[in-house]
Amino acid sequence: MALVRRATGSPPPAACADPQLLIAALADADAERRRRAVLGLGGVGAAIPAVLERVHDGDAAVREAALTVLAAHDSAEVAAGLAVHLRSEDAALRTAVVEALAAMPTGVLPLLAQLVLDPDPDVRILTAMVLAHLPSPQAVRWLVEMISADRHPNVVAAAVDALLPLAGAEHAPLLRAARTRFADDPFLRFTIDAALPRLGG
Amino acid sequence: MYAPASGAEDGFTLSDTDFERFREFFYRRTGIQFSPAKRYFVDKRVGACVRSSGEDSFASWFASLRLGIRPELTQEMINQLTVNETYFLREDYQFDGLLNSVLPSVMSERARAGRTGPVRILSLPCSTGEEPYSIALRLLEEWPSIDHVDVEIHAADIDTNVLGHARRGVYGTRSLQRVPPAWLSRHFTPTGGGFHQISGDIRSAISFSLLNITDTGQMQAFEPFDVIFCRNLLIYFDELSSRRAAENLYGALRPGGHLFLGHSESMSRISPIFTPCRLPEGLVYRRPTTGATR
Repeated sequence: MALVRRATGSPPPAACADPQLLIAALADADAERRRRAVLGLGGVGAAIPAVLERVHDGDAAVREAALTVLAAHDSAEVAAGLAVHLRSEDAALRTAVVEALAAMPTGVLPLLAQLVLDPDPDVRILTAMVLAHLPSPQAVRWLVEMISADRHPNVVAAAVDALLPLAGAEHAPLLRAARTRFADDPFLRFTIDAALPRLGG
Repeated sequence: MYAPASGAEDGFTLSDTDFERFREFFYRRTGIQFSPAKRYFVDKRVGACVRSSGEDSFASWFASLRLGIRPELTQEMINQLTVNETYFLREDYQFDGLLNSVLPSVMSERARAGRTGPVRILSLPCSTGEEPYSIALRLLEEWPSIDHVDVEIHAADIDTNVLGHARRGVYGTRSLQRVPPAWLSRHFTPTGGGFHQISGDIRSAISFSLLNITDTGQMQAFEPFDVIFCRNLLIYFDELSSRRAAENLYGALRPGGHLFLGHSESMSRISPIFTPCRLPEGLVYRRPTTGATR
């Protein structure tokens, strides 16, 4: 017994499978087969509705695989299909969807006008969390919009928190105005007071 | 393998505020923290990044970096602030963890499951080969079970040039600085000019492959591994590529398999699908034994 090497030392061949077989495998009782089917459907546009269904999968690894595959389809349709889960009662699903949406700059942008005005403040807070990590120059504009206009202090606090790593001295008046608007909210006051000295300029 | 580099570029100094903001950003992005004592180094290297980017100021360079407008800036930043340096037995507390904690666990689970066949280890990215050869040396020299268990070591990288170097197995004194003289004598042959070549037996025992960690098809083609070393790679990836890599590493491990990341990396920042485990020798991530199985 010792260090051994397989007789075939060549690179492993790439796996491939018929998309229809993979879609059928999404309903397999074995979670690993479902997970591999989801990953195998990466790049198959016609499979998106079926992969979106796997976001509800009871197995966390299958769900994560589905979100990774869907995030790679960076379109408004897929982002909209994921954004509905921002209202989910399942906190782990909400968090996972926020992370997936934050990797979809193209798909998320068309949804923002609606999301920042959502009647549910929790959805607006989650939207700020998406914007915090969205690799898009538009993210700052939307966060500024939320800080300027939102009426809920927790939403504004979330937007301030998201803006801080991106903020500069030019945002100081915006934060001061928010502090004035929510003068009775100690958490928001604390957040902004702590942030202002770090803006530079 | 990456560690803070040294060197200097002239004529650029960050303000205190910008230094703090950059330091925080870099830590969040890479897990590497620069103390205030590294201020001079950070100033100089960030200055080099700003100049080479063509941006007209730190502010515009930093904005492009943070907003992901120019993804190439991230690679440049990491390259400037770290140094691509690898050598034998680097960060060998993780090899201690492999021998003292992980392999005993692998052996117990094999016995419990009645599993036979070789223990399988993957080194990815293997760069010029120091990591997989270090694993081989530690096993041959310090793991008594190697006498009655077969071990397969696979090594892979996306770069054909480094794979060629790895297959040749010829290294200079800097690369070999931590190899004990007795090991050097037993497993290497001098080739002149201070260079040594690792023995043909060890070279031929390791399987080197060209592999892209984000290519799900390639990664799924492997039979599952008991242990994967994937150190100091994920810090270079954007959000989506990190997620893909995590999925593929998960799929390449057998349930209960162990994953070693670089000391500054955290899988918890990328994906929740692994279970972090604290070993006496540091942190390792495990694929859960329940749920998706292979």
